[in-house]
Amino acid sequence: METLRLVFADPAAAPLAAMLVLAAAPNVVFRVMGVFLSRGLNEGSEALAFVRAMASALLAGVVGKLLAAPPGALAQLSFPTRIGVFALAVGAFFLFRRSLAAAFIVGEAALIAAFWL
Amino acid sequence: MNGRPSRVRASSHYTCVMGAAGGFGYFWRGAREAAMGPAWLVGLSLASVGALAHDVGMPAWLAALSTPLVWAGPGQLIFFASMGTKAAALAILTATTLAAVRFLPMVVSLLPRVRSARTGLWSQLLASHLIAVTVWVETMRRGPGLPVEARMPFMYGFGLSCVAIATGMTFAGYWLAGSLPGPVAAALLFISPIYFVVSLARGAREAMDWAALWLGLILAPVMQSFVGGGLDLLATGAVAGGLAYLVRRWRQGRGLAP
Repeated sequence: METLRLVFADPAAAPLAAMLVLAAAPNVVFRVMGVFLSRGLNEGSEALAFVRAMASALLAGVVGKLLAAPPGALAQLSFPTRIGVFALAVGAFFLFRRSLAAAFIVGEAALIAAFWL
Repeated sequence: MNGRPSRVRASSHYTCVMGAAGGFGYFWRGAREAAMGPAWLVGLSLASVGALAHDVGMPAWLAALSTPLVWAGPGQLIFFASMGTKAAALAILTATTLAAVRFLPMVVSLLPRVRSARTGLWSQLLASHLIAVTVWVETMRRGPGLPVEARMPFMYGFGLSCVAIATGMTFAGYWLAGSLPGPVAAALLFISPIYFVVSLARGAREAMDWAALWLGLILAPVMQSFVGGGLDLLATGAVAGGLAYLVRRWRQGRGLAP
């Protein structure tokens, strides 16, 4: 109880407790909820297809946000440049028969090049 | 109706392929496949979290521990960034909670695909902690190609290998912090967007998956400027995911392949 009060008054005073309560606990809650909600669902059911669409869209959304409002060093590049570099990486992926490596090499090379241009 | 006959076929396959090695063979196969690439990519993105923890003055052990305990890049990022700005605990909790909601659809969609009739509740609860972007994407994609009984051991091996390597990389990022030049730091940060999108694209099997991918990418920045209170990502998931599901229903209605 004392630790919990400390966490909410000044998280930096009890860093481990703060991390467990503020960062780890929410993940545990939703992961465990997921386990119970998934019971009785079958692979191939319509409900599962809907959930899969939501999960994919959420993940794609994380990327969309990262490109639109990036943290740290990425913000040094303009928005059109970031989109351009990302489009090159995706283009390389499709051009080289869905190759992860091609996407990385082209994307990272374009990014470094963008810093010099 | 669909799952039962394949389950029987898969278990007989399991007994003859895995034999005495049991699930261990698939556990190591998962661990090895993660260590061949995906684990290093998560590791690189978490190295930037380690660097951030260093910059905001948190101890190295806390940065390293955050990876196995939290196991969610965005959550760790929010936590350490907030510790730097001395944000109120309730504000941090709200942000991390909103970032954690995405695990609900991930766990719900992955578990029915990997568990077998013999998988217990505790095993599923433990496995749920390993489910984050990389493990979700890779197990969704590789799982269906494995015998049903092999999928849980594979996921455990894959997930634990990712956690172990990423923990080491978080620690490495902490010590490298500040010594990386701008372009290299940016290249590090750019790994996650490429990896997430390309993994989704490689796992896409039907029109609905592609629709969810493109709609999510495009709608997220739009939602960010129209939906406040940190709910924009959730709105993106609901709207883009809902529209993508409608694509599936529309194709089904017209008798097209999904």
